[in-house]
Amino acid sequence: MLHNARRRLGAVAAVVVLLGSTVGAAACESKSEGDGGPAAASGEPIVVGSTLSLSGAFAATGAIHKIAGEAFVERLNKEGGLLGRPVKWTVRDDESDQAKVSTLYEQLITQDKVDLIIGPYATPNILSAMAVAARHKFTMPQHTAVIAPLLTYECQFPAWSIGPTPNQFVPTQLYEAVGSLPTPPKRIAILTNQNGSTDFVSYGAGNNKAGAVSITKERGLELVLEVRYPPATTDWAPIAAQVSAAKPDLVINNGLGVDPVNLLQAMKQLNYKPPMMFSLFPAPGPPLGLGATADGLLSVSIFEPNKATLDKLGAKATEIVTDFKTRATAAKLPYTVFETQAAASWNAWDILVSGVKAAGKLDQQAICDGLHSKGAETTFAGKLAFDPKQNNFWPSNQVIKQIQNGDWVTVWPKDRAAGELRGPTA
Amino acid sequence: MTVVQAALSGVLLGGLYALMAAGVSVTWGVLRIINLAHFGMILLGSYLTFELASTWEVNPLVTLAVTVPALFVLGGAAQWAFDYLRISELNSLLLTFGLLIIVVQSVSNVWSADFQRMTAAVNPYATEAVRIGRLAFPVPTLLAFAVALVVIVGAHVVLRRTFLGRALRAYAEDRPIAAAFGIDHRRIGVLLGAASGATAAIAGTLFSLGNALTPATAFEWFGTVFAVVILGGIGHLVGTLAAGVLVGLLSSVVSVVLSPATAPFVLFSAIVLALLLRPQGLFARPSR
Repeated sequence: MLHNARRRLGAVAAVVVLLGSTVGAAACESKSEGDGGPAAASGEPIVVGSTLSLSGAFAATGAIHKIAGEAFVERLNKEGGLLGRPVKWTVRDDESDQAKVSTLYEQLITQDKVDLIIGPYATPNILSAMAVAARHKFTMPQHTAVIAPLLTYECQFPAWSIGPTPNQFVPTQLYEAVGSLPTPPKRIAILTNQNGSTDFVSYGAGNNKAGAVSITKERGLELVLEVRYPPATTDWAPIAAQVSAAKPDLVINNGLGVDPVNLLQAMKQLNYKPPMMFSLFPAPGPPLGLGATADGLLSVSIFEPNKATLDKLGAKATEIVTDFKTRATAAKLPYTVFETQAAASWNAWDILVSGVKAAGKLDQQAICDGLHSKGAETTFAGKLAFDPKQNNFWPSNQVIKQIQNGDWVTVWPKDRAAGELRGPTA
Repeated sequence: MTVVQAALSGVLLGGLYALMAAGVSVTWGVLRIINLAHFGMILLGSYLTFELASTWEVNPLVTLAVTVPALFVLGGAAQWAFDYLRISELNSLLLTFGLLIIVVQSVSNVWSADFQRMTAAVNPYATEAVRIGRLAFPVPTLLAFAVALVVIVGAHVVLRRTFLGRALRAYAEDRPIAAAFGIDHRRIGVLLGAASGATAAIAGTLFSLGNALTPATAFEWFGTVFAVVILGGIGHLVGTLAAGVLVGLLSSVVSVVLSPATAPFVLFSAIVLALLLRPQGLFARPSR
């Protein structure tokens, strides 16, 4: 403990030293190659190009995708590579900047002449990369963009699907879950971060204005509070006071990052905890740090490494999850669990490999056609089928998870749950 | 009752804004340095508190014993460098923005860009509140307000009643004349920079009590803190406290009465209007 503490304190002291030495880090280029080498693979490596947000606003999650991608490529090469050749991944830092994403993908395709591409992280960046991929007719599996109506390029393949209408899927699934409780919630508060994806789930977009708000009303539930807040909100006390006064049975927070932590904390200061609370896309680690205050919190997931789930998937999944934890710990990530983001990353790589195998060559149109005709085999989402009429969004495998005794546990639907959904907390 | 509670929370949060703004205001007003690196020092203060409290399991408030001296030295060193390099007011904006980027990237390298937050086990203050009747005074912002009151009023007294304070004010008014009277501007500048660093440490520690940290947080403080500095009157410490309270109060009340989405629009519209009427800031006398 003391040794560990000293080591960490040493790192802290290094901050001052680093002041003069890290400017260049913001624009770094990172290359990853399976160090296990191509056991059975030989010949020129197949180069996969992509960007990730390794610095800037999306860097926290970008780091997860980098670790997952490196682990995948290493594993792939140990298992014989792709088409008998080793795979090399060239990943560049887009600095969380959409404009840089376009430029870098253009360079990867036209100057570096990469053989394949895979998407970057975060919806705005994925949209930028998709435009370049479409222009060059490259097939692009992508990790996390779920707003299906925006992803119209027929050769983009989503690795995380909330179906063709996430704005209806998410609230409907949540209401089905809480509707199964002995006393389902009737009074609902909806708090929406005005970020694109979260606002979309509350209010829809374009011609489809369905969302959490309209679905709540259609189901005959009482909408006791509706608040929209800016993404940069820092003062949570006014929202907490309004929730406390409205006394909802269920708070739906279509929020991001640490929004639910800030809300729960501000409500706790008012000596109030809602009977049930759901948060759409929270950072998974911080709510666990709140202890009992966050117990019972609901959210969505495409994968949680609960024992029951891993037992179903088999030894390979357990190995991947364990290896990721080791790598994430070494990279000093604060939350080292292989869950939704890492699973989406792994799915994207599985889709890429499935496409190339289906095509039997590195021809972009053949890969795209192969995925449309044969689908993809994935470790964490099973067999996927892509329908261009649905912008390739496959039937969602997204589940509801809940914090139970300090850990995230999948609870709905029952056939894919690792635990029982728990009702209102005291 | 909801509006009253929100107003109270806003006033207390205003104390934290004022504490963050005090160092920026005084170095800008007296030393003519627009110190954006001050936001980096607040960030460092908050991460140091996080690290010390999480690693050694000490009370986060006790970490002030480390963060205040550390950033006192850093603030003084930075001011010495600005003075040595003869940085002008405009250039200071560019230079200190560069320093801020370096600090933010360094923090990312050491602590990662992911959210960091002290657990409930080491930080009992995050969810605590003092209750008087039906009103709750959240402990993190209550502490921030109390400390801001002590620090800012204390600094105001020093500026008004001591030789050092008079020297600083003379230096701010007219540098050549102050120098002619034997005022060592380098020494008092370094002292003021160091004191500013110390306030950044306090603000950082108090911020970390109630908030999750990411390196990018530093950029989120810009708008509100500069609004407080300018509304309060540049270099006017008591005005900074009053402006902090006003900004916090207005933002919270608008959030409840209208909506949180409207608050920034109303707040910054009010600031523009206020500055049109009183360009020197709401709480500073016009210069003669």
